[in-house]
Amino acid sequence: MRGPTTVEPVPGRTDELIINMGPQHPATHGVLKVVIGVEGERITRAVPHIGFLHRNHEKIEEARTYPQIITYTDRMDYVSGLQNELPFILAVEDLLGVEVPQRAKLIRTIFFELFRIASHLVWLGTGMLDLGAITPFLYTFRDREMILEITEKTAGARMLPNYFTFGGVRRDVHPDFFKDVAHFLDFFETRLPDYYALVLDSPVFQARAVGVGVLSRERAIARGASGPVLRASGVAYDVRKAEPYDAYPDLEFQVPTRTEGDVFARFWVRFKEMEESVKIIRQALEKVPKTGPYKGKVPPRVKPKPGARYRAVEISRGHLGTYVVSDGSERPLRVKHRSPSFANLQLIPDLFVGARFADAIAILSSLDPVFGEVDR
Amino acid sequence: MSLFAEVWEAVKAVGAGLGAVNKRISEPAVTEFYPYKKPEIPPVSVQFLALIQNEDGTDRCVACLQCERVCPSQVITIERKRNPEGKGFVLERFDLDFANCMHCANCVEACPVSAIVTVGAFEHAVYDINLLKADKAMLDHIGHEARVWYSPKFGVELRTPEGKIQKAPPEMQPGGLAELLKAEGGEAS
Ligand code: SF4
Ligand code: SF4
Repeated sequence: MRGPTTVEPVPGRTDELIINMGPQHPATHGVLKVVIGVEGERITRAVPHIGFLHRNHEKIEEARTYPQIITYTDRMDYVSGLQNELPFILAVEDLLGVEVPQRAKLIRTIFFELFRIASHLVWLGTGMLDLGAITPFLYTFRDREMILEITEKTAGARMLPNYFTFGGVRRDVHPDFFKDVAHFLDFFETRLPDYYALVLDSPVFQARAVGVGVLSRERAIARGASGPVLRASGVAYDVRKAEPYDAYPDLEFQVPTRTEGDVFARFWVRFKEMEESVKIIRQALEKVPKTGPYKGKVPPRVKPKPGARYRAVEISRGHLGTYVVSDGSERPLRVKHRSPSFANLQLIPDLFVGARFADAIAILSSLDPVFGEVDR
Repeated sequence: MSLFAEVWEAVKAVGAGLGAVNKRISEPAVTEFYPYKKPEIPPVSVQFLALIQNEDGTDRCVACLQCERVCPSQVITIERKRNPEGKGFVLERFDLDFANCMHCANCVEACPVSAIVTVGAFEHAVYDINLLKADKAMLDHIGHEARVWYSPKFGVELRTPEGKIQKAPPEMQPGGLAELLKAEGGEAS
């Protein structure tokens, strides 16, 4: 059945061309289809179609026990897999009343920020690929590989580790972990200037990005945007500051914000976020005890008391929240995920209309959607 | 800005980019020549699962059904019968469908006797998906082939060339740092 959102040709109008972009378009970061009407090079209409990757997460999760669900939450935003586990775990921890040892909180925070860097590196590589630059892709994936190797050594998988658990983390870290992370940070700090030279400081890139896809502050708030997209439009909202979780209250960091709201600002914010992440991890590495408990006391059968809880975290793409309703049994009554890419994707009609067709790709890569999380 | 200045800016930018690339040209290659040189996968990495047998060839598994119960994809099927000699149960059937396994290691976490473990072997790919439906013989075989494996209860274990099962040194254990630091402190004092 054709929904009312389909772009139909206007009878008698011959100057408008209707183009299907995706779902197999390489620059749509997965499976987004946008039906675009163009007049010459200007986009007149744009309607995103989503749902190609729908896997029914929320319904499946109603039929699983609490520890089993953690496995599924990983698979929403698979680029920053480990971060997705946290809101669900925080919500259930609140319902259970579990104490998390400080060391476990710091380990979680280190991993959380490592995955932010990894995710932003993927975004930078693929985003530049969309804009026609191939070299950054090769470099960023090489750097990300180091993070994935650190993760695999400790957490047991590269992208979907299922490592966080109620009360802390699943197992203690590998003996090399702290050394490896410190080594990666040193290495990464020598790499960042190259990324600036190749991307942000390059006038060729600036010509494509400055003033393109401008998102006003009001529009960003009205559409429920979050993460770097929102911060590039001048709203300094970050869940890590607004509702601190884990070890964030003890760590000092800035929330990079810009007011232009164009593609360049969104790139800039993500660059600065990587720098902040490096700082956060360095502080956490100083604070974390080398040995000690990594998991609090959790009852063997996870049965939270009846009630509901909403917890949110700031993943690489923005505000990811999970609402858990418990009826006191082993399985939740309802789990609802609020995912950032889904809300950010609503900006497509706003940003695309009036832009040039080639800029649509730049705008899309600056939104950085991941479809595992949009469609769930 | 005049067109000439713009072009000059662009040329300078390309030059800066080439400079960044040039710095890396002399770096050692990071490419892995995979089929010829296999990467070492840490034993905690969830790839293949295996059933471990004791040194005398008896099953470690006590057929407690814990792993079957916690598996989110419900890919483990166990049939058991009462042990004819003595207490408890023995396995009649232990099937694990790797094609639908999510590699979450919940089963490994749940096992009370470290019978089901993660091993470093990772080469799953087959042409026929039915070959991924493992039965007990296959899981035992993977366990026999494994030189090193991990389970939360016993940590990382090694099989020596003589077939003995040993605990791995603390450098390989998750949380081995405590022991290493203690040893260091001991030497220093
Ligand atoms: S790893 Fe997870 S999905 Fe696979 S058999 Fe074990 S519990 Fe089931
Ligand atoms: S949990 Fe361990 S002992 Fe129990 S049935 Fe599974 S493999 Fe056997």
